[in-house]
Amino acid sequence: MHNQQSFWQLNKAVILFAMIALTMPLWFPLINGYSGLDTKIMIFCIFLVGFDILLGFTGYLSFGHAAFFGIAAYSTGLMLKHFSDNIIPAIIVAVIAATLVAIVIGLLTLKRTGIYFSILTLAFAEMFHSMAMAMLQTWTGGENGLTGMPTPMLFDIKMQGSAVFYFTAIMAILMFYLAKRIERSPVGLMMKAIKCNQTRLEYTGINARKYKLLAFVISAMYAALAGALMVVYEPFVGHEFLGWHQSGEVVIMSVIGGVGTLVGPMIGAAFMLYFENVLSVDLGEQWLLVLGLIFMFVVVFMPGGFMEAVDRIKKRFITTADGE
Amino acid sequence: MDMTLNAFTLYILTGLQLGSIFVLIALGLTLIFGTLGVVNFAHGALYLIAIYLAVSINNALGFGLALILVPPILFVFGVLMERGLIQRFYDRPHTDQILVTFGLAIVIQELLKWVFGANNIPFAIPSWGNGILMLHDYLPFLEGFVVYPKWRLILVVVSIITVAAVFALLHLTRFGLVIRAGMRDAEMMQFLGVNINRRFMIVFGLGSMIAGIAGVFGGPVTQVSPEVGMHLLVPSFLVVVIGGMGSLGGAVLAGILIGMAQSFTAPYINLNTVIIYLITVIILLVRPRGLLGAKGVFE
Repeated sequence: MHNQQSFWQLNKAVILFAMIALTMPLWFPLINGYSGLDTKIMIFCIFLVGFDILLGFTGYLSFGHAAFFGIAAYSTGLMLKHFSDNIIPAIIVAVIAATLVAIVIGLLTLKRTGIYFSILTLAFAEMFHSMAMAMLQTWTGGENGLTGMPTPMLFDIKMQGSAVFYFTAIMAILMFYLAKRIERSPVGLMMKAIKCNQTRLEYTGINARKYKLLAFVISAMYAALAGALMVVYEPFVGHEFLGWHQSGEVVIMSVIGGVGTLVGPMIGAAFMLYFENVLSVDLGEQWLLVLGLIFMFVVVFMPGGFMEAVDRIKKRFITTADGE
Repeated sequence: MDMTLNAFTLYILTGLQLGSIFVLIALGLTLIFGTLGVVNFAHGALYLIAIYLAVSINNALGFGLALILVPPILFVFGVLMERGLIQRFYDRPHTDQILVTFGLAIVIQELLKWVFGANNIPFAIPSWGNGILMLHDYLPFLEGFVVYPKWRLILVVVSIITVAAVFALLHLTRFGLVIRAGMRDAEMMQFLGVNINRRFMIVFGLGSMIAGIAGVFGGPVTQVSPEVGMHLLVPSFLVVVIGGMGSLGGAVLAGILIGMAQSFTAPYINLNTVIIYLITVIILLVRPRGLLGAKGVFE
């Protein structure tokens, strides 16, 4: 192949991300980030990269991804509590459980486009939320959440402190690499074609629903992995994991960062978690208000999020350099 | 299930009462959607503004003033919201509209939480609406002693009047005729020299005003706390979807259906929590456009 790109060119973003992620314990405390928050950021990077495969590639805005995050979290918690304190079977069962649910929800909701899809996914997530609060209370702990899990173990390693961080960081790097592979594969191209013009794609004889469902299920699996890791990081599952706040948070992170860029949503996740946990000290109770305003500003004036801002700055810099 | 006529009547009334609030909120939602094509995630926040305004005015100056002031204020707020924000989004994708109204909903909710606190504020019902109604005095088929809270029945009556007024406005006036024509084909109306944008702005105000009416009468029933807006928004969205996006009749029908379903499943807590979602799934599988959804509307 004459057009073969070099390994570096293809994987530049992944290598950069790996370098930033793996050195995080060294520099993160310097900007007042407490240890543990870095793990949470890695977990949400996984969630957000997966979410971008759906929202960024196909353009389908789900308001219900908390369902998969939460179902996986509860499954992991129950596995750790009742089966084994080893995280590997727990994570596998959790991802399988959420994937099965995602296939059913996907088949039902993807019949409809845009608005209907957003509302229906929101409805399904709320359904699981109210189930966790009432019907399945004996399993989920209802209002109080699921507690009493043993310390999660990766075979002989206690999953605490830096062990959890490096485990999730490596997972995040792998998942980012996988997403990049999907992006430049023919399947990824199909997904992006759905966003551009679904009707035209269907007229060329391609079964768009298959690719929509695939994108939906893949993004749900990412969400599930994040949900499972959340319990490994902190052995507790609250009903908020399934709530619309959680789904909404993911949407906000994506948009602030820059939908469709894979990197953007991860920056959005890091920004929002940092904002929520570190910068909010000065803002107190009103941090959500400030966040809402930032979010609206981005939607109105900068629909491409941070990544668009970066692009604009880059362009201006380059054009002025050329002009002189 | 062995159900007496007494119990049946009470379930019907509770169903109507639950449905009333859904109908009032869904009516505004579907009106705005049908005319402007905007999915307003901030509609629950409009209801939130209404109940906080209503409770403040009611507790300080009395219910009469709350009733006179809140709906017009909400109308003005709706118009300003359309001019200031929503207008910029007509040419952008639907997802952007969802995002910006979602952002606005967060901002409004957090502002109100900041000002009024996160706890429920007691909403004192005016003396004429307080207490219970002796149903057995009016309905001869009931046996013995059957009572129902008066305020909840007033809420049902108010929503019937509101629905009737909206239908009358849309079907009996020239303004309504233009709006209905605009819902069909806004572009054509503009070719005919009708300033459809200004009328749509008024429709947004109307939708917001209905949320205002819902807030004044619904506040005492739904409680007054920052979470209420989003709690009501999800079922109201489902009411709109079940009824058929943009269909006013559908919204009323679906609202009552959901209200009844919630009321009659009340004894079975497990079914009660998921019944709305079950109905939504079944209806959308059988009739993907909703009960009365028109063909070609945002397909």
